[in-house]
Amino acid sequence: MSRALRWLIPLAAIPVLALLAYGFRLNPREVPSPLVGRPAPAFALKTFAGQPVSLESLRGKVVVLNFWASWCYPSCYEEAPVLERGWQAWRDRSVVVLGVDIQDTDDKALKFVRDFQLSFPNAPDPSGKVSIDYGIYGVPETFFIDKQGRIRAKHVGSLSEQVFKQHVERLSSEGAAAASESSPASR
Amino acid sequence: MKPKFIGGGLVILAALGYMIYAGVTQSAVYFVTPSELRASPVTGKAYRLGGLVARGSLRWDARTLDLAFTLTDGQASIPVRHKGTAPDLFGEGRGAVVEGTLTSDGYVKATQILAKHSEEYQAPHDKNEAGYKELIKTLQKATQ
Amino acid sequence: MIPELGQGMLLVALGLALAGAILSAAGGRTGRPALVESAQHAALGVFALITCSFALLVYAFLTFDFSVRYVASNTNLGTPFWYRITGVWGALEGSIILWGWMLSLYTLIVILRHRERARELYPWALTVMLAIMAFFITIMTVAAPPFSRLNPVPANGRGLNPLLEDTGMITHPIALYLGFTGFTVPFAFAVAALVTGRLTDTWIALTRRWTITAWYFLSLGLLIGGWWSYHVLGWGGYWAWDPVENAAFMPWLTGTAFLHSVMIQERRRMLKLWNISLVILTFSLTLFGTFLTRSGVIASVHAFTQGSIGIMFLSFLALVVLVALGLLAWRWDALKGQGELDSVVSRESAFLLNNVMLVAAAFTVFFGTVFPLLSEAVRGVKVSVGAPFFNSVNIPLFLGLIFLMGVGPLIAWRRASLDNLRRNFVGPIVVGVVGAAVFYALGVRSALAVLSLALTVFVAATIGLDFWRATRARLRMGESILPAMTGLLARHNRRYGGFVVHLGILVIAVGVTGSQAWSVQTETTLKVGESASLGGYNVRFDRLDAAEESNHARVVGTFTVANGRQPAVMQPSKKYYPQESSPIAGVDYWIGLKEDLYLVLGDFTRDGRQATVKIQVNRLVTVIWIGGLILTLGTVLSVMPERRKAA
Repeated sequence: MSRALRWLIPLAAIPVLALLAYGFRLNPREVPSPLVGRPAPAFALKTFAGQPVSLESLRGKVVVLNFWASWCYPSCYEEAPVLERGWQAWRDRSVVVLGVDIQDTDDKALKFVRDFQLSFPNAPDPSGKVSIDYGIYGVPETFFIDKQGRIRAKHVGSLSEQVFKQHVERLSSEGAAAASESSPASR
Repeated sequence: MKPKFIGGGLVILAALGYMIYAGVTQSAVYFVTPSELRASPVTGKAYRLGGLVARGSLRWDARTLDLAFTLTDGQASIPVRHKGTAPDLFGEGRGAVVEGTLTSDGYVKATQILAKHSEEYQAPHDKNEAGYKELIKTLQKATQ
Repeated sequence: MIPELGQGMLLVALGLALAGAILSAAGGRTGRPALVESAQHAALGVFALITCSFALLVYAFLTFDFSVRYVASNTNLGTPFWYRITGVWGALEGSIILWGWMLSLYTLIVILRHRERARELYPWALTVMLAIMAFFITIMTVAAPPFSRLNPVPANGRGLNPLLEDTGMITHPIALYLGFTGFTVPFAFAVAALVTGRLTDTWIALTRRWTITAWYFLSLGLLIGGWWSYHVLGWGGYWAWDPVENAAFMPWLTGTAFLHSVMIQERRRMLKLWNISLVILTFSLTLFGTFLTRSGVIASVHAFTQGSIGIMFLSFLALVVLVALGLLAWRWDALKGQGELDSVVSRESAFLLNNVMLVAAAFTVFFGTVFPLLSEAVRGVKVSVGAPFFNSVNIPLFLGLIFLMGVGPLIAWRRASLDNLRRNFVGPIVVGVVGAAVFYALGVRSALAVLSLALTVFVAATIGLDFWRATRARLRMGESILPAMTGLLARHNRRYGGFVVHLGILVIAVGVTGSQAWSVQTETTLKVGESASLGGYNVRFDRLDAAEESNHARVVGTFTVANGRQPAVMQPSKKYYPQESSPIAGVDYWIGLKEDLYLVLGDFTRDGRQATVKIQVNRLVTVIWIGGLILTLGTVLSVMPERRKAA
């Protein structure tokens, strides 16, 4: 083989490597959530502090709805600081972080809130109605709801700083009027 | 390299290529959502259908082992039938992926129900449909 | 404090590994032994630090240190003691530490064994091993740190994945990783050979035992994985062509090819380029396998988490492949062989065909595994191919390989004369054909099964013929039979070790054929007292019970099973773990040589009066595991130190 042709061999590996890199752009075929793209189910809860909070009252703001429990080890412990930091950074920009505590006891839940010094509103879901409406079957799960009250993304498992920022930035930049009809993120 | 070895090599390569091609076309399985399947259904084609098991749609007859349910993605729904118990990670209001073919009667005959095991989750226990403590207590009482 | 210590040790180990790699390369370049010795000290330091770090992680597990995130993810207060140790390598971070630890151990062994014997190659091989270690330690410190903390500390942990509470799952990763990491050594020496230009057989002869050992552990890991899949997952199968399984199978296929083709280079000085390419390919496939299971790029039932780790693995894989292939292109001229293929009917040809088929199988598996990516990239359509694809292409290849197993060891080098062919193959072929007729007469109707079994008989006959002839020669010289046989095995342990390994493969092939062709199953719902029959077994549902254990609760179905002899009780169960969203099946089974009886509890009613049970009679599966044992014996025989040959 001529001197130049032999270098084809290492070069031949590049398309294969490129194909594998392409794989990162795709999400492996997750089960699509049917809630994404639909109006978020309404809820009316009372926070641990006694304040009423409903989805209606949050219209016009981006809502990060996070379902958690004090017995959820360690994922909820990992993401609590992320949610608190996100709340601190975005609360002045029409973003609300709301935690829904499910299947828990109040004293354990309050301890959790105290330990992590969470300042965003948290409410228990005593009847379990909200978690059923949102199709929750494990914790943690986080829903990103846009200013029109539509679920735009769902994240399963511990929420990272990166994912929080990604969704909140995108939804915040949309106008309060009808948002673009682009297809929702598949999570 | 003698020409006959190169020739033999090419024959082997061609045979392999043909076998792979035939194998792929015969056993390719297409990933679809219920909406995508509704949009262009092809009877007899092998599909991998993912969606949520619609609440209230689950029918299980333990004697005949007939499992029927509807998979939905919020926009479209597809009826599915399966023979045999569902895998453990299966239930109403939960995600599921089935592999099967579309029948001429409009339902998907599932040969496999696939389950994805998540390491992130912790399941709710006690006051919940998936809770097992109540199940255990009920059984213990019944089988004393 | 202790977790920080552990993480700190890993950081220092990273520095040492990098320093050692540079020192060793400098030593190789300049020929100064002092540099290489410093690199050796660095390698020793890396081993010590990773060992301590690993020990600290185990300590954190044993003391329920839930402030460490990895501990909180994988244990809870109810996790039994033994699983608190073995759970350390049950998830991502721990598995990387295990890999890194094995690499550091192997590096030490390389140092001890080879520093005297391979003066020119050794420094470069050491460089490669330390560089690869540096990568894995980087993963441990940057992408998947095992000691990251949680604050405040949770009161309890999540718990171990219940599917891992099993002896198979404890040993499977260890065997598999010993195999994967084992291939690093031949690769390192191959790169050393390319760098130094010393492309004779030295690098191959040095690494022969490494290759065989790595190959063996990979085989063992695959078999244990199949065993685990069979007796834990409850679907009655042992291989599903899942991407994670394929990831381990591909390097096994190319590793097997490499094992064989080096024999050609040893004897005829041919295939130098082919061998170097194969070892690079095999090592790359081990990295690819790790990448596949950790990057989330291909959807699989048991893939791990995503994140930056995938990108890091892919980048490293790209680096390794491009550098190694670049070196290969650079040394192209030196890789010309000195021999030529004389005839199609020769041992060289048989081995070459064996290699082509193995690489073809590896390619098929690779193609099928990445096909979803390919089709989405090219056509925008999400498609995948499943078991039917892999089976349709690979089964003919495997049958061909079985045939070659019989031909290769006996056919002559260079050019087989008609006489040679007649002497060696007419008998076995006749036996094979007779065997086929016998199986047909016994009722085997599947053409594939008949062919497979006939080929197995043919190969067994060739092995028997060879062994018999050699024994007879010794008997003629006055030896008695037992010393003749054992003497043969001892003196020509490489050859006969290989034969025993082939026998093991044959036995596995028989088991696979039987289980695919003759297993039966059924699923049925029974009320208390009702029975079902399958394959001669009568299964009666007796009762349902519920119980609580330390970290889970169980529903147990009691069934009385009879097959004409003494009836006995089987108890398949469903186990409920608090950290799992659904129950895990507890299969109950009877293992027999001819067949296994297998019961899986499905649905049941809350009053305990009715249960749905899946019954399987799986035939000849045990034969597969026995084949694995024979494989072990053959490997041990092959790697034993050789007695001095007479001529």
